[in-house]
Amino acid sequence: MDYKNIKYEMRDRIGIITLNRSDRLNAINDVMIDELDDLLRKIETDLDAKVLIIKGAGKSFSAGQDLSGNVSSTIMASPPGTPGSAKELLEAQRRRSRRWEYIFNYPKPTIAQVHGHCIGAGCYLAMVCDLVIASEDALFGDPALRMGLTSAMPLWTWLVGDKKARELVFLGRNVNGREAEQIGLINMAVPASRLEQEAIRYAKAISICPGDGMVLCKESINANLEARGVGAAWRFLDDMQLINQQQPFGPCEFNFFEVRNKKGLEAALQERDKPFKDLGF
Amino acid sequence: MPTFEDRNLDLIKWHTQYQKNQCEEAYEKMVSEGREYRAIIYEKKGRIAKISLNRPEKSNALNDALYCDLLAGLGEAARDDDVRVVVIKGAGRSFCAGHDLSSPPGDESPPIDPKYHPTVRDFFQFERRRCQKYEDIINCPKATIAQVHGYCIGAGEGIQASCDITIAAEDAQFGTRGFDRLTMGITAMGGTGAPHVWPGGSERYRAFRILPEISGEDAAELSLINKAVPADRLEEEVDRWAKALSLIPNERFAIAKESINSTLDITGLGNAFRNHYNIHLAIQFVRFRSDETNLYKTRRDKGLKGFVQTRSMHATPTLKDDSK
Repeated sequence: MDYKNIKYEMRDRIGIITLNRSDRLNAINDVMIDELDDLLRKIETDLDAKVLIIKGAGKSFSAGQDLSGNVSSTIMASPPGTPGSAKELLEAQRRRSRRWEYIFNYPKPTIAQVHGHCIGAGCYLAMVCDLVIASEDALFGDPALRMGLTSAMPLWTWLVGDKKARELVFLGRNVNGREAEQIGLINMAVPASRLEQEAIRYAKAISICPGDGMVLCKESINANLEARGVGAAWRFLDDMQLINQQQPFGPCEFNFFEVRNKKGLEAALQERDKPFKDLGF
Repeated sequence: MPTFEDRNLDLIKWHTQYQKNQCEEAYEKMVSEGREYRAIIYEKKGRIAKISLNRPEKSNALNDALYCDLLAGLGEAARDDDVRVVVIKGAGRSFCAGHDLSSPPGDESPPIDPKYHPTVRDFFQFERRRCQKYEDIINCPKATIAQVHGYCIGAGEGIQASCDITIAAEDAQFGTRGFDRLTMGITAMGGTGAPHVWPGGSERYRAFRILPEISGEDAAELSLINKAVPADRLEEEVDRWAKALSLIPNERFAIAKESINSTLDITGLGNAFRNHYNIHLAIQFVRFRSDETNLYKTRRDKGLKGFVQTRSMHATPTLKDDSK
């Protein structure tokens, strides 16, 4: 299987998917998400791949959606105020959510092996995996609201509880691996030097279990979460995304996309985060 | 499509009648009566409004006047387009000691006195009104921060839980007294974030289920609140959070808040409130053994201080004597 932005290899019944756009901190663009989708569909029936590890090449797991505006209309919600019919906007949003839900309900156990940045859509990707093992200095966060977008990930409330969900979503604050473990966002934080070996150790332990039984275990846990409303929450947040896209930027509101088009991505990111950084967030 | 500018209230006034929540109702009533706040202090600095519960001699225990003013303050902040963040804090030694159990019978703030023998129909409507106050705080469209120091007990815990963010002094004391928290819908949803989303048996669930009181530091460690800091740094820390939240425009924030609130609903918040009514109703019929503390009887016989003393011996034997 020949992909441009991801790599796939099999090692001892462990399927290892590497996000491979290291020059862009593995920012997820349309090509990458399509390839990931395609790969997952192809190996769904491969009974030898008993567990998947998803990791990032280079310095980071993934810095999030590709915000450059190139080849990212599928992964990125269009900026607030973009003209479009409700039908189009909603369907596009549903397709985005269905991709996360597909990985969330994927019929194999999945492990995210996280180092460096794990932000925005990168963080969503880790959150929909069954286990997350991260280096202590990895950075998790969801800065959508800082750009006038809203978080499209309902799992925050279920994973970290109400107060922390509000803190992370409203402030776009990043937490490191250690804090992420403490608040229940991930399973375990380990020193960076041990990350790879820990992820493999977990994967091997899972790969010993009967694959068919594992699918049923996962199904029962996911059914439990579904019964506690996760399915309804995806749907509700899709609708909220639509509402948000219909609200154009206000006259005094920081318009990330306009700044990006004028001054470039780097400047826009700096302008986005500076007032929060100045306050220590 | 209406544009952002159209909705600038200087240009267009909202003419349509809509169902007002109790915050707006309380504020409008106060304005129409031409009176000032009696039980809170309302201050506004730029985009941040601060509401201080101001009954320090009673540790800010909630009676009807205080509750009414708190809601009115939130109503004023919600209406004010300049305000983006509301901080709720307590004057004096504590944030809030819970319901004022010395309120006169007939007040709606503490649970209804059994001697009223309400019909079940009236009781449910009465409870709906009481619980709606918490829901109205949750649905306040502005960012809300609870700044907690000293005691944060019972209904006080409910108020901080209904805020978006809670920052507490490390030595603050959260909890409920005399009841199991899980039977109280509101504290069940909130004292701890959202325990019903956490699996039974997990550490967080257990901590909240079993411990009658926990410190600010422990609450932060369990993610039940956002952060605990030394008491002398509390104000400064809250200001930092308030400033950061005030960077987000009102309209955009309202959408994000509605999204998060929706997930709480989906995890069963509405049902937790209804459960809260039922438990209050059931409590009307509780029979007390002779070695148990009956609020109404003990208060009649020994006065409120006598009740608090007796309760602290019976309900939470490990605690220090409150009467000192």
